[in-house]
Amino acid sequence: MRSTRRIIQVLFFLFFIVLFIKARYPYSNALPSDIMLRFSPLVPVFDFIANFRISLLFWPALIILLLTPLLGRFFCGWICPLGTTLDGVSHLVNSPDNRKSIDAKKWRSAKFILLVGFVILAIFSVPVWGHFDPLSIFNRALTVVLYPVFTLFSESTLQALTHIRFMEEPVFAMFDFFKSWIMPEDQAQMQQVFWIALLFGGILALEKVTRRFWCRNLCPAGALLGFLSQFRFYERLVADSCPQCGKCARECKMNAIPEDDATFTNKVECIECFNCGVTCPPKIDAITYRWRWKPYHSAVDYSRRQFLGSAVGGVGAIGLASIGLHNKKAQARVIRPPGSLPENEFLDQCIRCMECVRICQSNGRCLQASGVTENLEDLWTPVGEMRTGYCEFNCNLCGEVCPTEAILPLPLERKKQTAMGLAYFDKDLCIPYAKDEDCIVCEEHCPTPDKAIKFDEKEYIAPDGSRRMVKYPYVDENLCIGCGICEYKCPLKGEAGIYVTNEKEDRLTKEDLVKPPAPKSKSKSQENALPY
Amino acid sequence: MRRRKFLRYTGTGLLGLGLGAVPAGNIIRAAGSNAPDAVWVENGEPAALLQAAIEAYGGMRRFITDGDVVVIKPNIAWDRAPEFASTTNPELVAALVKVCREAGAKEVKVFDRTCNNPRRCYRSSRIEEVAKSAGADVDQVRDYLFTDISLANGEELSEWPIYRDYLEADKVINVPIAKVHSMSTVTVGLKNLMGVMGGDRGSIHNRFTTKLIDIDQEILPTLTIVDAYRVLMHNGPVGGDLADVKTARTLIMSDCTVTADALALRLFDYQMDQVEHIKEAYRRGLNKYALDGVNLKTVNLS
Ligand code: SF4
Ligand code: SF4
Ligand code: SF4
Repeated sequence: MRSTRRIIQVLFFLFFIVLFIKARYPYSNALPSDIMLRFSPLVPVFDFIANFRISLLFWPALIILLLTPLLGRFFCGWICPLGTTLDGVSHLVNSPDNRKSIDAKKWRSAKFILLVGFVILAIFSVPVWGHFDPLSIFNRALTVVLYPVFTLFSESTLQALTHIRFMEEPVFAMFDFFKSWIMPEDQAQMQQVFWIALLFGGILALEKVTRRFWCRNLCPAGALLGFLSQFRFYERLVADSCPQCGKCARECKMNAIPEDDATFTNKVECIECFNCGVTCPPKIDAITYRWRWKPYHSAVDYSRRQFLGSAVGGVGAIGLASIGLHNKKAQARVIRPPGSLPENEFLDQCIRCMECVRICQSNGRCLQASGVTENLEDLWTPVGEMRTGYCEFNCNLCGEVCPTEAILPLPLERKKQTAMGLAYFDKDLCIPYAKDEDCIVCEEHCPTPDKAIKFDEKEYIAPDGSRRMVKYPYVDENLCIGCGICEYKCPLKGEAGIYVTNEKEDRLTKEDLVKPPAPKSKSKSQENALPY
Repeated sequence: MRRRKFLRYTGTGLLGLGLGAVPAGNIIRAAGSNAPDAVWVENGEPAALLQAAIEAYGGMRRFITDGDVVVIKPNIAWDRAPEFASTTNPELVAALVKVCREAGAKEVKVFDRTCNNPRRCYRSSRIEEVAKSAGADVDQVRDYLFTDISLANGEELSEWPIYRDYLEADKVINVPIAKVHSMSTVTVGLKNLMGVMGGDRGSIHNRFTTKLIDIDQEILPTLTIVDAYRVLMHNGPVGGDLADVKTARTLIMSDCTVTADALALRLFDYQMDQVEHIKEAYRRGLNKYALDGVNLKTVNLS
């Protein structure tokens, strides 16, 4: 059983990694990259709280939720990529066995406190659970931390190795392989990388305290699944031959076997790794796993007092999370991906997984993990940073890969008419206005079929009396879609001469998608008529 | 192969820099014969236009010798399908790759430093796909493979980074598509060379004429082939509206970029006076043939 579990665990892990790598241009939806994130058991629950619906979009999670009362926390032991990562790390750092961490059992309830706190916050429309969703944590760490660091190191290492003469050939074969299959994008530069690395690194570092510290004590998904597994039918049974040597209790990944009674399993905690069956000395071999139709019950380590505590804490956190900065400048720069739901629904639906940010890296590279601009809800949601990238006119991929449709999957034609914002000139900076010299790089790059940046050509008379014609650009509000390529390409150092705000952004709902877009100016894009 | 050579240069220091600084342009002055100065072919499909032009121009062997490494520089700047006439016609590029190989080229490389995301441009323009199957190396431009060259005759700029493949090639064929351009009125051969320039190209746009010609004069290509099969008449250089595309079914070829560009103005009914950067190229004597004395051969395929 243990080997089967290990093989499946590794296969799921590789599957998730392949899905992650595959999330890039050119993208095919045949195997959707975001399916990994729809495995998260928390997503349908919080979707229900926000929208009173059970969405079949999250079918992988629904299957897991349905099976858990029968099977227990198999998701944690077999599927969750964060769990697999932690298992790997615990081998590396040699986590101590349970003798040292017996006392730590009292921390178990923390995950229930967190889960209940998140539920209360979600009921009051403060969606912050996504920051702690295990699959979001994993994908966010991959996108913002691991992949960029990996590409940085491998690219520069490979380049350095080519200087060793006899290595040239094999290293270049590898370089080509990497560049065509693994990291075709330029090196990703991510804001928030430090904080996201800190959360992820912290979770890994806790393996030094106990094995699966995060899963035992903190994971809200683990809490939910544990709650559902109290009565599970598939049980670990211990024969009378057991001498109560306590070995399985010491080795259990989840500390789910009481040290004084090896015959009992805490079903709320057990993740069905089947290590105990292997740990039991072969001569004794007392452990079997079987279905029983009259299963015993394990209580959840969560008292009424703790419930009250999490309720009070949750309400307190509502206040904390809702205090806004009301910084008008920062608010105007919160530019959401094209096709995002209206802001409140968007914040409810977004699970802060950064899948959109990932795929944007192989396109216009504008999306970044936001910091706190208005309040805590903004943290690690996607925003367009138009000075580090822009939204590629012919790209609609963030909507394709968003697991929760916080960004709607817009057809390409529709996306091209969906405004992310509106561009403004800063005439104190813009070269033609500030220096009366030509530039209009922004106008050149403007992608709308009828350019949203236009210009007036006027004669300029210099102080010395010389004359020249200068092209002064301006924005046509009705044509601008706020893609930000103007801001990105503006050759000025520092602040650009043109910048995008979220004014006039189009926020869509699912219902809008079936209606034709509101007639927008004389936009005359026809690209869809073509086979490419 | 190519990259290996490059990286060895980075490894062995400045040797590569010294070699890289030899300008690729101005190497070949067409050997006498009775070839015309330029050819104008019209009313054909891209491959046929090219074939006719090369025949009229004395054959590709005039320019390519056995074992040459040839760089073809089309316009792949935008993430647009070929129909929008923002990027060079892919069939023309493919045909050209074949011609170069048949003329004895050892390697043919096709690349451009794009404006939109490079992988999107290479794909949407279809140039990557067709040039590869015609036998060219089509690689992405890597930003660590640019070399500063000194611009001895520069009036404003004294050095600029240029892509090393371009500098090291034995022969260079510039294949712009003819388009209108808001800032430079038109973009043809001289402007297309911006695709081998590194650094902050946006800054070239300020006092554009002087800066462009400063760099261009050091990197003029062996041969210029203007793709005017489809011509973008408005909203250039990006385009995006089929109504702005004129199907001119034309090709212009010359070993003098400035002459080719000047001829291309006829496509738009522009006068030289309206196009500062071509005028400037003449003023600085980058042309091989006098403006009013071009021996032009016209071929009509219909
Ligand atoms: S908007 Fe981005 S971060 Fe949020 S759920 Fe969708 S893909 Fe994940
Ligand atoms: S549509 Fe725009 S924001 Fe979304 S992934 Fe593509 S380039 Fe990025
Ligand atoms: S690119 Fe920048 S400086 Fe140039 S015209 Fe546009 S806004 Fe002004």
